[in-house]
Amino acid sequence: MGLKTWLKLAVVAGVAANIAGTAFAGGTLRYATIGEPPSLDQQVITSDLATTIAHHIFEGLYTFNAAYEPVPLLAESETLSDGGKVITITLRKNVRFHNGQPMTAADVVASLQRWGAYGSRGGLLFDNVERVEATGEYEVTITLSRPFGPWKNLLAFINGGPAIYPASIVEGASKEPLAPDGYIGTGPYKFSAWEPNRYLELVRYEDYVSPEGDPDGYAGRRTVNFDRLRFIPVPDVGTRVAGLRAGDFDYAESIPGDLYAELDADPGVRTILNGGPIFGLVFTNSKAGPLKDNFALRRAIQTALDKTAALRVAIGPESLWRANGSFYPKGNVWYTEAGIENFSKADPELARRMAEEAGYDGEPIKFMVSTNYPFHYDTAIVYTRQLAEAGFNIDLQVYDWATLIEKRAQPDQWDMFFTHHGFVPDPILISVMNDNYPGWWATPEKQKLKARFTATAEPAERRAIWAEIQALIYEQVPTMKTGDIYTYNIASPALEGLAASTLIWPHFWNVSK
Amino acid sequence: MNGLISVLRSVRERRLATIGLIWLALVCIAALGAPLLAPFDPLDFDPLARLAEPGWPHLFGTDHFGRDTLSRAIYGARMAVLIGTGSVFVALVVGGIVGMLSAYFTKLGHLLMRAVDVLMAFPALLLALVLMTLLERSVVNTIIVIGTVYATTTARILFGMTLKLKGEVFVEAAICSGAGHASVLFRHILPNLVSPLLVQASFIFAFAQLQAAALDFLGLGLPPEVPSWGNMLSEERIYITRAPWLLIFPGTLIILTVFSMNLLGDAMRDSIDPRFRKDVKGV
Amino acid sequence: MLGYALDRLLTLVPTLLAASLLVFLFVRLIPGDPAAILLGDAATPEQVAALTRELGLDQPLWKQYFLWLGNILEGDFGTSIFFGKPVLAVIADSAETSILLAVTTMGWIVLIGVPIGILAAVRQGSWIDQATSGLAMLMASVPTFWLGLYFILVFAVGLGWFPSSGFPSITGEGGLLNLRYLVLPSLTLAAPNAALIIRLVRASMLDVSREDHVRTARAKGLHPLRVAIKHIFRNALIAVAGAFGFTFAALVSEAVVTETVFSLPGVGRLVVQSILRRDYPVIQGVILIVVVFYMFVNLLVDLAYARLDPRVSLK
Repeated sequence: MGLKTWLKLAVVAGVAANIAGTAFAGGTLRYATIGEPPSLDQQVITSDLATTIAHHIFEGLYTFNAAYEPVPLLAESETLSDGGKVITITLRKNVRFHNGQPMTAADVVASLQRWGAYGSRGGLLFDNVERVEATGEYEVTITLSRPFGPWKNLLAFINGGPAIYPASIVEGASKEPLAPDGYIGTGPYKFSAWEPNRYLELVRYEDYVSPEGDPDGYAGRRTVNFDRLRFIPVPDVGTRVAGLRAGDFDYAESIPGDLYAELDADPGVRTILNGGPIFGLVFTNSKAGPLKDNFALRRAIQTALDKTAALRVAIGPESLWRANGSFYPKGNVWYTEAGIENFSKADPELARRMAEEAGYDGEPIKFMVSTNYPFHYDTAIVYTRQLAEAGFNIDLQVYDWATLIEKRAQPDQWDMFFTHHGFVPDPILISVMNDNYPGWWATPEKQKLKARFTATAEPAERRAIWAEIQALIYEQVPTMKTGDIYTYNIASPALEGLAASTLIWPHFWNVSK
Repeated sequence: MNGLISVLRSVRERRLATIGLIWLALVCIAALGAPLLAPFDPLDFDPLARLAEPGWPHLFGTDHFGRDTLSRAIYGARMAVLIGTGSVFVALVVGGIVGMLSAYFTKLGHLLMRAVDVLMAFPALLLALVLMTLLERSVVNTIIVIGTVYATTTARILFGMTLKLKGEVFVEAAICSGAGHASVLFRHILPNLVSPLLVQASFIFAFAQLQAAALDFLGLGLPPEVPSWGNMLSEERIYITRAPWLLIFPGTLIILTVFSMNLLGDAMRDSIDPRFRKDVKGV
Repeated sequence: MLGYALDRLLTLVPTLLAASLLVFLFVRLIPGDPAAILLGDAATPEQVAALTRELGLDQPLWKQYFLWLGNILEGDFGTSIFFGKPVLAVIADSAETSILLAVTTMGWIVLIGVPIGILAAVRQGSWIDQATSGLAMLMASVPTFWLGLYFILVFAVGLGWFPSSGFPSITGEGGLLNLRYLVLPSLTLAAPNAALIIRLVRASMLDVSREDHVRTARAKGLHPLRVAIKHIFRNALIAVAGAFGFTFAALVSEAVVTETVFSLPGVGRLVVQSILRRDYPVIQGVILIVVVFYMFVNLLVDLAYARLDPRVSLK
């Protein structure tokens, strides 16, 4: 074969591949992720990335509408009896799993039981559950030992939550996350392939039966347009941005605040704010060290901090953060101003005096932070400097995330550590409410309030008790909030049907290109 | 000593190498006089002067903390010199001792060089990554890890060169006249190796800069709070379009420094004993 | 020749055993708990402990080492904690990218480095010689990640000539055309390594040109370029072949920075990510395999020397 023939062949091959490529890309959403999820098993994994992918595969009995209220998804309706202690849930009847089996009460019971025993957030509900049983082919009854207010929010929150799996998969499953051949749900997409380091791919579930009603948050009709969703791990943020600009991705997540103005002005890029803000938290150690039960010293530390300066350095543009001391943003039903006058006093002199009164004599305070999240590190640097100005001897210890989570489980290794918290629709899900979360805040005052908080389902009463809890957080300072951060993602302008902001995790039903 | 003088003379004869030498002298001055030369505290930040363009008073602009880039660059020279000389020191001392002893005492050498073979089979950068995670990020650990990587190559080179010298008449004469092992090794063999070692040192210095910058980039080098050129690039790389000066200045400093060292090493290599010329690796 | 090869192979055994012990120790001494990473923030200490037991990570370290080594001898490198897949399968996925990246990089190096090296040698001392060696040295002084970032900015975002990141398998859709994803990364990686080859080609050409048979050829009045190519280059290749071998082996692991910048699913990035996830079996497996790979390349190069160059004695 001569050179010319080779050239011709190459051109033909190129054209053919191009045509095939275009047809293929038209039906594929290419999503650049920050990395790879540990697993897609929703019941045990709490990574946000896992949920972003997995909530296209799995569904729960309930989900959230745009106002963060729980509404039925796989459930059809429910009735409460015996003073709220017996919950009878009727299931939708025409739903099929990706393996073709119809979803029945047996699957729901098996899923709830595995979640209750091994699920990350399962204990929150199941500490109050007496039994779960199938009381009909499409009817499940949950019997509680006492009325438990947040039950519906917990059933609707799929992250570390009660995703519904086929009984055949979930029976015998334990704490170890399910392997990919167990990723069988009822959602609009089914699991297709996971090429480590390359991509994780979902394909359209042809027999998907959508819930009825106008789309509202995660609720309502789910129209499936893309043939495939491809989640591509791109850990380097610069590469994610460059790739979207170059047209190699349709969507890229977790973009730094400082690029917002530039990207927002770029006609080739659409910015999408995340609806629920995340917030940085500094936890204090209640088991050991100088901060163990010295609440006055903790308050002195909080008094020295100027959270606005930290947010400005760590996030950048003022439109992307709020120096808000409430654990919920203004406008949310859980918003309360209780205790927030102490949120960001930024008064080093007062802090110095308070520390003296609290008996602080300059002993080192170990403050752990990880470099995996730049805004953690940036905030900690600002805090360390502010605390030094107020006379605190801060020993900043910088680790990678994996080392930090091992160290924070050991009470003698640290006094404070930095982490962040995602938006959760019910305060019971905030980590500081968990007595076992590192920091181990479990004072009698907290436990009394917490018991009252979960014992009632009455919204106004629950809100009032939450305000008392938040005030207690500012008094005992088990954790210090940094302020609300509105993270954002970027998308190709060619995507249609994307809401102006995401609810918690982005979703791609009702979206096309 | 003669070797050293001829090496320096050869540098003077090359115009580019002379320029390199001048640049390296400037880097050293910046490293030594950083507190006097830097207009600002390299760690002092100003949330209201973030990402300022180069101008007055921040000649090289500021980073996302509002820290002065010029001051950080000057303090970065300190880290460059420290990492470079530290790695050279570790590599030459450890590698030198292992290599020379192995060549001189054949039985011990058999064992030691086998150990060097094992270490050399490890992928250098991957090994450095694992070791840095294991040891935690610090200046000393970075020096040890980079130094160890080049200690193996140095050991092998010195092994070869010492072997060649061992057979020379003057060494055999020294042994015959009853000189002790230490005397033979350090008085008779080592002085002949000074100039090739100097060349090797210059290449190690240059490589160490790039290796340290790569570790910083991967988040496993110097502690992030240390102002080094690598950390500056790593921390500010997302601002490549938003604040280009944050990448251009430290990047250029690394390139100039490494290039200067390479030029110097190259010029010196031409002047050393032709028998050893091929042993010394480099660019 | 065969005896020599066998002899060399046998000496590899203790070296490999030592290497495996080092790999295991280095990796296992890293602080961090894979079970805690896997389960995330909401898991209780009991749940983490239970998963640690299920993964067999609560056994004494020496027991785990011998179990690991024993399984490897049976060809089983264990299961990735993170992916739940066999380690070998995970590595095989990444190896395609790494090997193709190394091959394309070597392609550039040969394509650019060898002709320039020959040119520099033929015109020894001229301005071309000085300019190319200066330029090559400059390229070797640039941090690869820095160069890569600007390559992406200019050629992917600005001009749109090449994709910015990633690498779809050549066995999937797109086929061999997917190699265009490797153009920018391989150029980035070739830049510093080309200098070494240019220098080597030039130096060995000059060495060979001083030898007798070349002088004879010249004296016979053959065209200088003909002499250069036919007599000098062929002999210089022997020296250069060795360097190619090592550069290739080094590329597979040294590409970690380039793979990170371009988000390539290669072996280097697999190690970086696995370190962050504390996926011990994968880190151990990759490093051990690269070590074995390096040793075999080393062996092959030595054997090739012995074959190509009769002056090398088979000791």
